[in-house]
Amino acid sequence: MHTISWESVDHTLDECIKCNICTAYCPVSAVTDRFPGPKYVGPQAQRFREPGQEESPDASVDYCSGCRVCNDVCPTGVKIAEINARARAQIVAKSGVPLRNRLLGRNELLGKLGNIAPTVANLALHNPLSRLLADKVLGIAREAPLPRWSEKGSLREWLQRTSRKRLRSPKKVVYFHACATQYYEPFVGKAAIAVFEHHGYEVIVPPQNCCGLPMLSNGEFAAARGYHQRNVATLSSFARGGFPIIGTSTSCTLTLKEEAPELLDMHDEASKELIHGTWDIFEWLHELHEQGELRTDFRTLPLLLPYHAPCQQRAHRIGKPALEILGLIPGLEVRESFARCCGIAGTYGYKSEKYQIAMDVGAELFSFVRAQGAEVTYTACDSETCRWQLEHGTSIPSRHPIEILAAAYGLYDLEKRALV
Amino acid sequence: MLDLLVIGAGLSGLTAAIYAAQAGLSVRVITKGLNALHWSAATIDLLGYLPDNSPIDAPFAALNHLPAPHPLRQVGDVTLRQALAELQGWLADEGLVYSGAADEANLWLPSAVGAKRPAYLAPTAQAAARLDDPSPLLIVGFDHFNDFYPALIAENLRRQGHAARAHILPLSLITDRTNPNNVHLAEGLDDLARLDALGEVLRHIVTPGERIAFPAILGLAQHPQVIAKLQSVTGAPVAEIPTLPPSVPGLRLHHALVRRLGQFGGRVESNMAAVEFGTEGDSIAWVATATSARPLRHRARTYLLATGGFLGGGFNSDHTGRSWETLFNLPLSMPASRGHWFRPEFLDPAGHPIFQGGVQVNPAWQPVDAQGSVLYSNLWAAGNLLAHADSIRTRSHEALALATGAAAAQAILAQRQMI
Repeated sequence: MHTISWESVDHTLDECIKCNICTAYCPVSAVTDRFPGPKYVGPQAQRFREPGQEESPDASVDYCSGCRVCNDVCPTGVKIAEINARARAQIVAKSGVPLRNRLLGRNELLGKLGNIAPTVANLALHNPLSRLLADKVLGIAREAPLPRWSEKGSLREWLQRTSRKRLRSPKKVVYFHACATQYYEPFVGKAAIAVFEHHGYEVIVPPQNCCGLPMLSNGEFAAARGYHQRNVATLSSFARGGFPIIGTSTSCTLTLKEEAPELLDMHDEASKELIHGTWDIFEWLHELHEQGELRTDFRTLPLLLPYHAPCQQRAHRIGKPALEILGLIPGLEVRESFARCCGIAGTYGYKSEKYQIAMDVGAELFSFVRAQGAEVTYTACDSETCRWQLEHGTSIPSRHPIEILAAAYGLYDLEKRALV
Repeated sequence: MLDLLVIGAGLSGLTAAIYAAQAGLSVRVITKGLNALHWSAATIDLLGYLPDNSPIDAPFAALNHLPAPHPLRQVGDVTLRQALAELQGWLADEGLVYSGAADEANLWLPSAVGAKRPAYLAPTAQAAARLDDPSPLLIVGFDHFNDFYPALIAENLRRQGHAARAHILPLSLITDRTNPNNVHLAEGLDDLARLDALGEVLRHIVTPGERIAFPAILGLAQHPQVIAKLQSVTGAPVAEIPTLPPSVPGLRLHHALVRRLGQFGGRVESNMAAVEFGTEGDSIAWVATATSARPLRHRARTYLLATGGFLGGGFNSDHTGRSWETLFNLPLSMPASRGHWFRPEFLDPAGHPIFQGGVQVNPAWQPVDAQGSVLYSNLWAAGNLLAHADSIRTRSHEALALATGAAAAQAILAQRQMI
């Protein structure tokens, strides 16, 4: 007997009119027969799932990447991606989590371990022999773009080192850096903090956990609940105090706002406060701009920049605020990608059996980037794993839009990825 | 601030958005999900049947038989003809050629089950299967492709006196996939090299004078090239017949319209369900959509409601017999009680009263109350939420959406010029 509930999704089932729009746009079923499409494994198979059921009617749900394009196009509001996530959790509850998925779900723990001796960790991980072993033994794809631990220390170590230099101000924001910024890409956090301080905001960086998304998308709901509960405990008081909680990892802010409370049925007051207090960074900057408070002291940034709003950003349903803000920068020509998905979908593209699917899904985005011409020196995307996949698929360096914005304010070196 | 916020991205909303964007307005289209074109044959139906159910050959002449307040009569012939011609022009620019019969007559085309259906404009590939053309149809399907039944279509057509035969080919001729849908097949056929084997096989099956009719899967982005290549390899005219959804012709039409809008700076934002609105005096101040956390407010100078009727999500109803417009709660002309929603016969030629109800507008396409007073000074409405539309029954769905979208956009532009 497992604990997966269908509470929040079941009532949306009857809204499914079997129009197949989701299947027409699903980027995964477009490239593989292993995934028949959202309608089939989602609302259709759901008729055969019920609490406490022993056998899952459809194991192919594991091939859903969780990109949420189906939710994006559904005309009647069926929670297809959530149905699939819960169905996967039901399978996991019955059959257990493979070691590989356990590892991929523990992004924070891996980050911490590598951070003890990042140079050694990078050497140990990023060599052909270990990647071959990881592929054969664990099932982590040899070619997939795993990140490198920061060899200049974590973001929080930098914050401690520079604490006396940090701006003090009555205007304050809370920064949710998430695991990738803490351990792999502290420069993204530095760029964000520089932009906040440029606007006169003091940045509070309270203790925080992994948002739990890697576990949610691997069906480990119970473990994810622990993470989310701790985040609610530490962060909701800030939300209650009126401080916006702003993140640069768009999938993590989405998890705090919606994925975790939705999938874990957490509807208590503190969870709701966190939902309403959390902002994706460009969502917040856009709000600042609407109030006439966004600084426009930009320098010219002569770049042709293909920008991909990743699936998890689009799932916020806030439009593409980064497009509008970057559009203010003189000299910068942003080209919007309409590609459905880069393919990697968090931990999906790291799995040996799914690596090629992820690359085939990403082909649409890679060819869009290539079609922009040889003068493209960077691409931009709000999600870290998508940036790594973009770099892997195009061999062109990728940046978070906040790095682009920080550079336009003259605060950041885009090439060295360091504050200036 | 936006010049125009369009709520609903169906044919009427997209048409209005394109008109406005072409005139230089800043436009955003918000929609809960993607539109009904995805499950339509993507023909532009103008008027197929009179209210008494008799089929129509000359739709323009027959418009007079519609009730006077019907939106198509309110639009008028001039705007209607103009909108149809505009659409043809936009689509041709996108490589999607739509054509009609001579002398403004209806085309009669085979449906997905081989029934005879009226359409005013059709993609050339569908028009090529027109049933007034006496040349026989070779209807080709593929084994294990379950969304298209050539034998059923051919038999139905023969019963109606049209020469047709069916032929099934192995699916492996056109794909390596085992369980693909229409869209996967169409995307696969965009790779023109895949057509060689198919064309070669068909060249030996088709007889002189026959037309080859395929399920509507002949390419997405490369659709014209796919048709041209198949015609050249087989030496026969090539046509498409609609399939079960998802509709590839619908996707082509939707993509072409969204691209057109994008060229003029207009955006379509999907997964944005409008949930509330605010007013200032007698005008709409903002419309808010649901997000992952807080409602997102969209502010515009003018607003167009194009959310459709019950099917589109523009209306809802409950068991008490109440029915309502889902965003602004505009008054609807609807039967007074639930007992009067439907007539006893499902296929009653007079239709059902509930589908004839809807939003009432003045001649400038602004929603009005029962007394005819404008409800909000900066709100317009278009498409199948309009009262008296009942467009599925009369086969006027697309032309009604197109023409009222165009007319509402023109009304918005005219009012802006006055300001």
